[in-house]
Amino acid sequence: MSDTQTKGQLASAISTEVMIEINQMNKWYGAFHVLKDINLTVHKGERIVICGPSGSGKSTLIRCINALEEHQEGEIIVDGILLGKNLKNLDHIRTEVGMVFQNFNLFPHLTILENLTMGPIWVRKKNKADAIETAMTYLERVKIPEQADKYPGQLSGGQQQRVAIARSLCMNPKIMLFDEPTSALDPEMIKEVLDVMVDLADTGMTMIVVTHEMGFAKTIADEVIFMDEGDIVERNNPDAFFGNPEHERTQKFLSQIL
Amino acid sequence: MSKEAKPKAEIRVRPKEEFNFFQDQRVRSALYQLLTAGIVGWLAWYLISNTAHNLEVRGMNTGFGFWNVSAGFDADFKLVDYTPGIGTYGDILWIGALNTLLISFLAIVLSTILGFFVGVLRLSSNWLVAKVALAFVEVFRNVPLLIQIVFWYIGVFSLLPVVKKSLDLSLGAERVVLNNRGLYMSTPIPGDLFWMTLATLLAAVIGALIFRHRAHKVQDKSGKQIKTLLPSIAAIILLPLIVFLATGMPLEWDVPVLTGFNYVGGTSLPPAFLALLVSLSIYHAAHIAESVRAGILSVKKGQSEAALSIGLKPGRVMSMVVIPQAMPAIVPPLISNWMNTVKNSSLAVAIGYSDIVSLFMQTSLNQAGYAVEMVGMTMAFYMFISLTISFFLNIYNKRVQLVER
Amino acid sequence: MAIIKAKKTPDRSAPASETSVLGWLQKNLFSSAFNTALTLFTLYIIYLTISGVYVWGLADATFVAENRRECYDNSLTGACWAGVIDWLDNIFYGRYPREEIWRINFGGLLLALWMAPLWISRVKGKVLVGATVVVFYPFLAGYLFAGGDKGFFMQFMISGAIVAFAINMANTITGLTKNLGLNAFLIQSLGQTKATDKTQRNILLLLAAFAFGAAYLWQMSWSFEGVTWTKWGGLFLTLVISGIGIASALPGGIILALGRRSKLPIVRVLSTGFIEVFRSVPLITVLFMATTMFPLFMPEGFVLNKLVQVIIAVILFNACYMAETVRAGLQAIPKGQFEGAHTIGLGYWGTMGLIIMPQALKHMIPNIVGSFIGLLKDTTLVSIIGLFDILGMLRSISKDVPWLGLHKEPLVFGAVLFFLLCFSMSKYSRHLEVKLSAGRKH
Repeated sequence: MSDTQTKGQLASAISTEVMIEINQMNKWYGAFHVLKDINLTVHKGERIVICGPSGSGKSTLIRCINALEEHQEGEIIVDGILLGKNLKNLDHIRTEVGMVFQNFNLFPHLTILENLTMGPIWVRKKNKADAIETAMTYLERVKIPEQADKYPGQLSGGQQQRVAIARSLCMNPKIMLFDEPTSALDPEMIKEVLDVMVDLADTGMTMIVVTHEMGFAKTIADEVIFMDEGDIVERNNPDAFFGNPEHERTQKFLSQIL
Repeated sequence: MSKEAKPKAEIRVRPKEEFNFFQDQRVRSALYQLLTAGIVGWLAWYLISNTAHNLEVRGMNTGFGFWNVSAGFDADFKLVDYTPGIGTYGDILWIGALNTLLISFLAIVLSTILGFFVGVLRLSSNWLVAKVALAFVEVFRNVPLLIQIVFWYIGVFSLLPVVKKSLDLSLGAERVVLNNRGLYMSTPIPGDLFWMTLATLLAAVIGALIFRHRAHKVQDKSGKQIKTLLPSIAAIILLPLIVFLATGMPLEWDVPVLTGFNYVGGTSLPPAFLALLVSLSIYHAAHIAESVRAGILSVKKGQSEAALSIGLKPGRVMSMVVIPQAMPAIVPPLISNWMNTVKNSSLAVAIGYSDIVSLFMQTSLNQAGYAVEMVGMTMAFYMFISLTISFFLNIYNKRVQLVER
Repeated sequence: MAIIKAKKTPDRSAPASETSVLGWLQKNLFSSAFNTALTLFTLYIIYLTISGVYVWGLADATFVAENRRECYDNSLTGACWAGVIDWLDNIFYGRYPREEIWRINFGGLLLALWMAPLWISRVKGKVLVGATVVVFYPFLAGYLFAGGDKGFFMQFMISGAIVAFAINMANTITGLTKNLGLNAFLIQSLGQTKATDKTQRNILLLLAAFAFGAAYLWQMSWSFEGVTWTKWGGLFLTLVISGIGIASALPGGIILALGRRSKLPIVRVLSTGFIEVFRSVPLITVLFMATTMFPLFMPEGFVLNKLVQVIIAVILFNACYMAETVRAGLQAIPKGQFEGAHTIGLGYWGTMGLIIMPQALKHMIPNIVGSFIGLLKDTTLVSIIGLFDILGMLRSISKDVPWLGLHKEPLVFGAVLFFLLCFSMSKYSRHLEVKLSAGRKH
């Protein structure tokens, strides 16, 4: 287990501004009801960790937030914009919401620097020099500036995931989503990625993290959500959640992973 | 006090390998190779001596002297000047090779364009369109090419009207005419000032490239994106057109004219050529469509998701992330498909188009009988093309290798 | 702020857009204005094509007629299938004497029965089944189809084939009924399960020898009328050429592939050269080479008939393509397999034969089926050099007096026939690919 626990709980800086609002959201894959009556409100600066068994719909939920998946019922409002069929709105959402994937999904045919500057140049219409400056700043933030000219295939898994985080940050998003960011990493590389995420939380970024790393949850989360079979079953602050899980499904899950 | 004497270090003798002749790896490998070389060599000698003997007995000709022997026959379709009775077998080889290259090149261009189009259709989100494209691919891949070629040839022949009732493809202007003797097209004859139009075209293309280069520089400096595609296309089309009109349209046409029983003038393409071109293009387009589809699908879904997640629009996701990664998967089967197109053009022999196999191997063989030389040279021709294409393919593959640890 | 949902929310049925036909239609076909237009346009094209084909091929077509004139009298715009139907025997069997056609059908049935155990999971010893098919069946079938005199060697192989087939069938029956291989069953019924291995083996050999003797005596009384190869034609000839082509190309391809991977330079160079030569030239040039140059290669007086020339050419050509397939299959075997074999002391041939090849061949089966489909289509080229395979037969219809000029209908029939054959085989091969990659055992 990672020892981010030693850092102690970070002070949270939650404002009252609502970043994400999900009301009675339901999603089906074909005939399969995968998300049921989801209600969720996320404020600016809040850090939320979602956990649950596989198939519970947690990845699907965050993928609905940045419109990688469509929902059939209910509403999702991100940064004041209702997610629907309006393509321009969807494009805007995607520039304001960053996502880090389990499999990194770096572009293998481009260098690290090119991976990072692609968004700023082509979407935010920055000039090359500014884009490179931003990219190097974030590369230093994730502590691997010397890899700028290498290709993703030449980096370790931990390094690639840190680059992926930097890539999303280069777009200056208001919200960062993490879909099991450390599940594909060798154990010795998990810590370096979690450290970066803790640093990020420190800066006041609004984060939703799907993960099994409970130590991490205890360190930075303002709220932990447990999902099972499409429902949000239980949610609480980390101390109460881990110390005194109320629902029996939560108890069963926690007993299996802790 | 006496020092304790150290025991003398033992001298270690390196064990020697016993040399057993038949177990020795080097001996064995040499023996196997000698054996193989011996068998192959004996076989070759046996075949060659038989051949030499048989050629003598039958009084057949050998040697490359036939180059300069005049061939007594004519080719249906030729790109170069040739007079039967004076032209030599060497000329015939040249004509056949050119004809093969001509139809292969045209078929490759058409099939690649059509293949990419159908391949993209296969991936369409519209279910009906995707299924129709699938039907196209499955039908034209599963029916033997020879049946398709013969079918188009018969179809061309039986459906096209006779000379007197030719189809006018140029909508009344009688510039392009189609009948069961072939496709007759007007040949352009450039006038004195035509070079100005061509020069303008060249200037427009170069100008567009420079414009694009400058636009990239502007984007690097300031981030501003300038649309270059439409202005470039407009310039390339309009500027030469304006010059052409201004210089008084200096272009004459050699128009095919109905004289007696036939059209005279212009360029004509025989029905066999048309049938072969159409069937080859469609057949290979079906195969190319599959390569394109497989190549695009080989790019993991996560790539386009990640690209969307940093805000790139779907068009850019395709052009900057998916296609560059799909091309290394598409190009090798594409190029081997092109090679197959060249090889399949040899089926011209079934419908009488004068490609190298039909002209050189079949006809010449019957006339002159230089069996070994003709067969050998025809096969050498195809081997040369194949080696050239492989060479360029290897260069491409080396260039697009993803850099890995 | 703790428990949100005490009870699990029951599944609800999905909204219409996800499950109903209407919803599916909307999503896939009519999701936008552009898509709708595209769908309608495509539907129109489909309608034109299908109605055109239906009218020509079925509604207006003539199925029964004596000659083309009658077809025209019946319907001017429809297809004249009567010609194809008249020639159906030729299309399938060539000019094989009609009374002897049962021999071809019987040969086909024999092959189907012989290979059936490969699909039945409870039968043991599948590798042997496959081997006997490749080794013995060609001789039995050859005699069945060609008839005539049989030399001693032929009689020997035919007897072997009979015995092999009988053993195969008996093995299948014991496998299905008692879940035992035939050898185990025989030993059991003779009460010799306790006997030593050597005794058991001798008993089985003795039984086999008896069976062989009986078969030999039996086949000596057989006599089939000779049918020269010139009468072979149609789909029958196509299958003969493709079947022999693929069966012989496989061992040849394996040898060439091994040669290409060899560390011995001469072997490698010769194999690579041979493979590259035949892979860079069109099949038609190889066929021409065979018909013009093979007679020159043979010593004086030794004549190869055209069918044998073509078959040899097809085998050479296909062995080279098969070599590439085998090479890819070998490359897919992880290096660890070679290393593991090395550590238990297996030499080159042992490693190849016992460890590598069995694994590689299993994965190559879909590719081999694909090669067979390709060969089936390529066989149509022999019609150019004067062999009357199925395409040759189809094109002959238009030269037959009652059906002069009937071009389209035979070709369409051939196209449809090939499409059905090749499409179903490639579907099966894709199914095999999925099944094999799932790692299930037969």
